[in-house]
Amino acid sequence: MSGDASPLALPLSRLSAGASEATTLYRELQKPLLRYLVCLGLSSDEAQDVVQDAFLTLHRHLASGGSQENIRGWLFRVAHNQARNRQNRYDRHFNSACDAEIDAVSHEATPERAVLEKEKFQQLGKAIRLLTASERECLLLRASGLRYREIGEVLGIATSTVGDTVDRAIKKLAEKCNV
Amino acid sequence: MCDFSGKLIAWLDRELPAEEATEMERHLQSCSECRSDLDAYKRVCGEFDAYCDAAIASATRREVPRWALVVSGAGAAAALVALFLAMPRSRIEPPAFHPPHVAVTAFPAGVAADSASVKSEQRVHRRQAATPASIRNAKATPAQIQNAYFLPDDPMIQIAIPADEMFPPGAVPEGMHFVADLTIAPDGSAERLRLRPRLVGFERSTTQP
Repeated sequence: MSGDASPLALPLSRLSAGASEATTLYRELQKPLLRYLVCLGLSSDEAQDVVQDAFLTLHRHLASGGSQENIRGWLFRVAHNQARNRQNRYDRHFNSACDAEIDAVSHEATPERAVLEKEKFQQLGKAIRLLTASERECLLLRASGLRYREIGEVLGIATSTVGDTVDRAIKKLAEKCNV
Repeated sequence: MCDFSGKLIAWLDRELPAEEATEMERHLQSCSECRSDLDAYKRVCGEFDAYCDAAIASATRREVPRWALVVSGAGAAAALVALFLAMPRSRIEPPAFHPPHVAVTAFPAGVAADSASVKSEQRVHRRQAATPASIRNAKATPAQIQNAYFLPDDPMIQIAIPADEMFPPGAVPEGMHFVADLTIAPDGSAERLRLRPRLVGFERSTTQP
């Protein structure tokens, strides 16, 4: 993560400057949103649609004079809720998040290294699946660069709860993965 | 266990108040146990990040059914299919070539032609206006027509439909349009249609995120 960095600092005043600025915002946030949604368990195609829908909702929100405070957290909240709706509609659950067989290894990796990397991912994947949904969501949002306060707003929980949950989740992963 | 161990991750995330953060930094200089734990947490966070990156890379590669059937709004979709089927066949199918999809674009009111009721002649006129030049030009050679179909990422055929003919006035925000991916069956009929709302400038990413 990036807990110690805030790559998505967004001057909110830019949003009122027109569509080109909104496009800049889209470019900055598209990838973190996609990554979050895919890791929640959506397919790449569904995640793309949710991101598009979230930005359309943002467009309507701003056009109707909605608040411009914490747009990043606002977008993640909208995307998160839409992902939940889709998963409910298709009777799927966040439990399947990060369930995908990870076969992405560096092209430069030697065969031995590729095997080790895959084993490491499998072990981490198992540990991630053992986390509660709330722990997983907190970690994913944290990995997207959100502060604890923003994560709390997205998930509708207190900032102190986010801190405790992140702390517990990372310690669980460290223990399961023998890091 | 060290008293400070419960705040290590919050410190790592820069979530501690300045005073507590300074205290933690002083403590870390003297506590090897916390330093070791901190290194472990940093490693697991790095691996979690890499795992998420790998997950999205895998999901993107597995995305095969690009033209999956998703109909957004039965009424709008039915209207688009009806419009497509009503088109003269010679305008949409070049000789001996079956385009895999047709992009149908609905522009906001005011961008496209007038919003009067859709009559046959007007519809043909709008389609002509939005059809690539090489297709609508009657004098284009067959080679020109075929080349037009190999332009990367460009819609094969565009059909412009004023948004206010599909939706009530004011229902579609300014700057929004619709793109419909239409798959054509071997017999020339419309097989699948997927309507996607888009904001101008917010193009769907076709590259791996």
